[in-house]
Formats: sequence, structure tokens, C-alpha cells
Amino acid sequence: MRDGDGYVPIEDYALIGDGRTAALVARDGSIDWLCLPNFDSPSVFASVLDAARGGSFELRPTIPFTAARRYLPNTNVLETTFTTGRGSVRVVDAMALPNGHLGPTREIVRRVEGLDDISAPVPMMWAVAPRFRYGTAAPRWEWRGRVPVATCDAEALAVSAWDAGEPEWRDGRVAAAFELSRRATSTMVLGSAHADPLVLPGRAAAERRLTDTIAFWEQWTATRGYGGAWAAHVLRSALVLKALIFAPSGASVAAPTCSLPEEIGGERNWDYRFCWIRDSNFAIAALLNLGCYDEAQSLFWWFMHATALTEPELHVLYRLDGGVGGDERTIPLPGYRNSKPVRIGNGALEQTQYDIYGCLFETARLYSDGHRPVDDDIGRILARIADHVCRIWREPDSGIWEVRNGPFHFTHSKAMCGVALDCALELASRHELPADRVSRWKKEADAIRHYVETECWSDRLRSYRRIAGDDDVDASLLMLPILGFTDPRGERARGTIDAVMQRLRDGDFVYRYRAADGVRGREGCFLNCSFWLVGALARAGRVDEAAELMERLIRRANDVGLYAEEVDPSSGAFLGNFPQALVHLALIDAAIAIGRAEQA
Amino acid sequence: MIGSALAGGFLGTLALTTIVRVAAEIGFTRLDLAFVLGTIVTRNRRRALAIGYVFHLGLGIVFAFAYGAVFELIGTGSWWLGALLGVVHAVFMATVVLNVLLPVVHPLMGTPETAANEFALIEPPGFLMLNYGRNTFLVTLASHMVFGAIVGWAIRV
Repeated sequence: MRDGDGYVPIEDYALIGDGRTAALVARDGSIDWLCLPNFDSPSVFASVLDAARGGSFELRPTIPFTAARRYLPNTNVLETTFTTGRGSVRVVDAMALPNGHLGPTREIVRRVEGLDDISAPVPMMWAVAPRFRYGTAAPRWEWRGRVPVATCDAEALAVSAWDAGEPEWRDGRVAAAFELSRRATSTMVLGSAHADPLVLPGRAAAERRLTDTIAFWEQWTATRGYGGAWAAHVLRSALVLKALIFAPSGASVAAPTCSLPEEIGGERNWDYRFCWIRDSNFAIAALLNLGCYDEAQSLFWWFMHATALTEPELHVLYRLDGGVGGDERTIPLPGYRNSKPVRIGNGALEQTQYDIYGCLFETARLYSDGHRPVDDDIGRILARIADHVCRIWREPDSGIWEVRNGPFHFTHSKAMCGVALDCALELASRHELPADRVSRWKKEADAIRHYVETECWSDRLRSYRRIAGDDDVDASLLMLPILGFTDPRGERARGTIDAVMQRLRDGDFVYRYRAADGVRGREGCFLNCSFWLVGALARAGRVDEAAELMERLIRRANDVGLYAEEVDPSSGAFLGNFPQALVHLALIDAAIAIGRAEQA
Repeated sequence: MIGSALAGGFLGTLALTTIVRVAAEIGFTRLDLAFVLGTIVTRNRRRALAIGYVFHLGLGIVFAFAYGAVFELIGTGSWWLGALLGVVHAVFMATVVLNVLLPVVHPLMGTPETAANEFALIEPPGFLMLNYGRNTFLVTLASHMVFGAIVGWAIRV
């Protein structure tokens, strides 16, 4: 499973999360990524970026084994079954949710069970090696009775274990060996505290929280309103989305990891632990379509709060606490399979990207359509932002893909400015935005449409262009029919879809673009682009093609139904941060688009 | 002292609220005290603002009496002593009341402990209310010093 350097393929990971932070669990039972207390806090386990010294929580048989995994049905609770020559052992991993009783601030519960096929006790081991602050700070180990506690400044981790051997401290980690017989159970709890006293849970309380956590996820999934095709995958994507919503604020993190590479050994390594405005319209649409009204309202309110500091100018991304800081810097880790540099923070904060205005307005329109009208306060803010769009849309920007060799006049950015003003006009017609600027918005919306249809259309390509005046295409152009900027069944949409398929498609996958972007190295295919293609095909009435591609893409998920940001089209290996919310959002959109097209 | 405290509390809260509102309008902070207080009782934003302003005004008057009690205790009061109390008041609000106590009692506000099985419509202010913008504490400090100065000037023992 692990290569000589100790790394596993990205697709070998599964996610557990509690809506505040998340952990990646490898197929061999090792937790290789965990940030505490929040998604965007420094890591405690970062073996995925430094297999030798990053820190991890291992739990596995010590004799040869194979592993099979699944999520417990309709939950974010992972079940790994290790099969050995002596029989099978099942591990249930969950990030426990609070249940009203006193527990650790954050808590991972690992319950181990010997199955009926065990013929002789199965030798097991566990080892906890925390490395605080992205692997740069070794812990100080102490004992609270029989419980080992690792501390580093205001952070503390306690490892409570029952029927799981006698833990010993050695070489900077706490480890134990134990044997598991048929129907025997062991339980381990990793509890953490941040600037507050540790709570050391009892076994019964921890197992009760595990049971309650399973029950919560089952109940949450049962109340989701989706009964169309690919329901299991849509609901898995919804569960991923829910796990990636930062519950204290309602913001949605783009991915829980940083610097998983877009090219093995390359430098395209970015931190995605932020909330992108770009994802907002897909997120709101998915939440509303799945009946998650509270989450939708929470996310919308968060966007309107977060943007209040900077409006009418919007930032590309915001920290989960609503702040606009987050300077990009590199940290001294070797990176996944030697993919350097390892970056935290995100330089896209400094970029100008105009498509986000369309995303925000589309979010407001969807929220208004599907939940409740935009109120006066938010209406006034949106009106100021619409005025701002009128002033800026003629300027070049860095575009949806955050290219670092720009700015350019991206077609997608112009069209999204048009979407912003179209939405503003629609909301104003419902008296949700002030009506006094409507004539200006209409005039500028018409000007944008004229610009896109003349400067951004290529008769030679029979497609919209990536950049005004050039003769290249870009997968982002698929958003024009998806968001209704152009008639999805019209000649121009059909031509653009064909051009994207002809020039950017590689098997089941779609590259973002082929042009240079100011960063060295190559990248894989962005999986959201493949699902966008499905969505565009469905909306164009090419439902059979869409469904066929959807089927193939569904099979490209890993064994537990998750997707990374990208895939290597030649090997099918995952690349980039994992799991990525936008890919799962695009999957939900594609499935719903096919369903609606079939009904139509 | 009652009349002075009422007048000082009223005027001081008026000034405090105006400073915070202006700071928000020019992009210094996302703090909106009326909204935060009003949403304790309603999800309707417009109604929340109206209720919040009244609630905040009431609190301001209560605090003015507390300032008066301190002046009585130490036997003197002045605008600058009021401003000094305003510093203590602001630090207490930013580190304890809005950071710790308010999220606990506010039905729509998240706390650092809010998890996937709960909903938060309003993000918690965080330590020194930094979640609402880096300058939020400075705005809070300045506005409470002005509040204290007005109350101190009005009450002068």
C-alpha cells in the first residue's frame, strides 16, 4: 500500500469530519492529516505531506492484511475491515459530534472489533505521533494517570485507550500492541483541547457519542430531498459538503487539505482551506435542491457578513472566520511524494477575479428563488456591488483559474459580470433590490452581452473563446450555458461544448485549458470540468451522452465515493487537494441537470 | 445622579452606536451591535435592527448607572475617568461578554464548539472580536472611550 517513502495514493484516503475540522484516514488505518482545532489551524498529523516526520495515528494488524472500506450507510463514519490469515478485524472511525454531555473539544473515536471469522487472536498495534504546527514542533509527553497527554503551548492531545494494550512512550510517540479475539472490542479516543482544559472521556461516554454521531448522520441523510438517479453518489457528495461546512460560521471550506500536488513532484501545491465565493452558487443550489435550508441560509448569511468589510469590492476567497487575511507562505515539509513547496495561505487573495460577482449574485438569486426573499439590508449591499460591476467589467482579470501570468480579458469573467447584472435586474424586478439604478444595470448588461457575442466568439472555432481576441477554448466556457448566459440548446452553446470536447477532453476527463498560466509544470484534469461537461450536455438536450459520461465519471470515484480536485488521465490517479467540495458540487449539479432534462 | 446617568447613558450610547455604524459603513469592521443583539429574539433582519437598537440603548443606560456607582465609590468622576472606565469596559466586552458569554446565550450564533449537528447563522465574534475584522477591537475601544467620556462628563460627582 505505502511506497518506499511511506506515502499512499491520494485515492487511498477517506474523510471523517465534524463540521469544524476533518481528518484523512488511509486504507491501512493511519490518520495522516488532521488540523486542530479547525480546518485552517496548523496540523497535528501531516504524514501526507511528510511521511517521515509529519505525525500520524496508526492503527492496524501487525501481520499481513488486506483492507476493504466503506462508510456506514448514510453517514460520515468510516468502517475499515482488515482481513488477515487469522481472521478479520473491523475498525470504525468517526469524528464524534457533541451530544450535550461533557466531552473533549474535538474527538476522534476509533472502535475496533474482532469478527466471527477469527481463528486465532489477531495482533494489532496503534501509535500516536503528533507533530504540532505543521510538523515543526515536537510534543511534550506527560501522563495523566494512565492516559498519555501530548502538549504544545495551548494545544493538548490525550490518547485514551481501553482493551488496547499498555501504551509506552518511545521515540516521540506513544504506542501499544494488543491482540483481538473473536467478538472482542477495543476503543481508542484522541481528544484535544485548545486553550482550555482537556476533558478525559470515559469509555461508555465516548462510545455513546460514537453511536449518537452515527444516528445524527443517518437522520440528516434521511431528510435530504433527492430521489433521482445516482442517489447514492449525490448523497455521498452531500455528506462531503456537509462535513466541509465550518459549522461555527457556516462557511464552506473548498477542501480540508493543503498542498496535495496537482503534479507529483511539481510546484502546483496550494492551500484550499478557505471559502471561495466561486463555489457559493453551486453550494447554495446543491443545498437548496437537497432540502438543506438551514445550511443554505447559514452559508448565505456568512457570505453577506464576510463580504461586508470589502464590499462593493469582493475578495476571491475568505478565511473561515470571515477574515480576508491569509498570506501565502511555504513551510519546511518535503511535500507529498517530494512535491515542493508546501504552501499554506493562498496568494489568490491578492488577485482580481471578476467572475465571483456573478457567482455571488447567482447565489442571491437562487437563495431568493428557493428559500426566502433578499432583505432590504442585503439588497442595498447587492445594489452597491452591481454598481461596482458596471464600473469594472471592462477591465482584465486573472480569471476563474487564477492564472499567474495575467491579467486577460477572460470570456468567462465577462459573462459572469453579465450574470451578476442579469440577477440584479431580476431581483430588482421583485423589489428585492432598489429600482433606481435599473436602467444603468440594463445598459451595462446589454453592453457585456454585446462584447461577449462579438469579441469573445470565434467563427473559426465555432465556439466562445477563452480570452477575447484569441483562438483558444477553456472549460470554464461550459458555465455560460449552465448559468443560462447563453441559450443552453442554442447554436453557440452547442458549438462551445463541441469545441471543449474536441480540444480539451481526454477520455472521460477535461483539461481546464491548454495555454500557459504562469506556473511551471503540468497538471491533471480538473474533475469539476468533467461534471460541468455532463451538466452542459444535459442542458443542451444531449441527455444520453451526458448520462453515459456521468456513469463513467461515477466509476472514477475512489472506493468510498470521494473525488480529489484532479485526476491523471493516463493512470486515473488522484491529484490535488482531497476531497474537493467543488467536484462534489458539480456532481450534484450534473445529476440534477440530467434528471431535469429527462423529465423535460 | 439618576437624571445625569439617564442622560449620559442615552447620549453615550447614541455616540457609541454611531461610531460603530460609521466604522462599519467605511469598511473598518463588520460589527453591528444592534443586529447582533436583535437577532437574539428574531431572524428577521429589519426587525432585529429595531429591537437591537432599543436593547442596546437600555444596556447603555444600565452601564451608565454602573459608571456612576464607580464614581460614587471612588468619590470623584470626570470625563477622562469615564474614558478610562470605557477602556476597561471595552476590554471586558471584547474578551468576555461578546467573545464568551454572548455566543452561549445567542440562539443563532455559533461558538467554537458548534459542530455539524448544530446550525449557526451568525459567526461568533472571536477573541477581541477579530472575526468581525481586524480593526473591530480598535473601533470598540474608541467607541467605549467616547461613551465613558460622555457618561463621566454627565455624571461628574
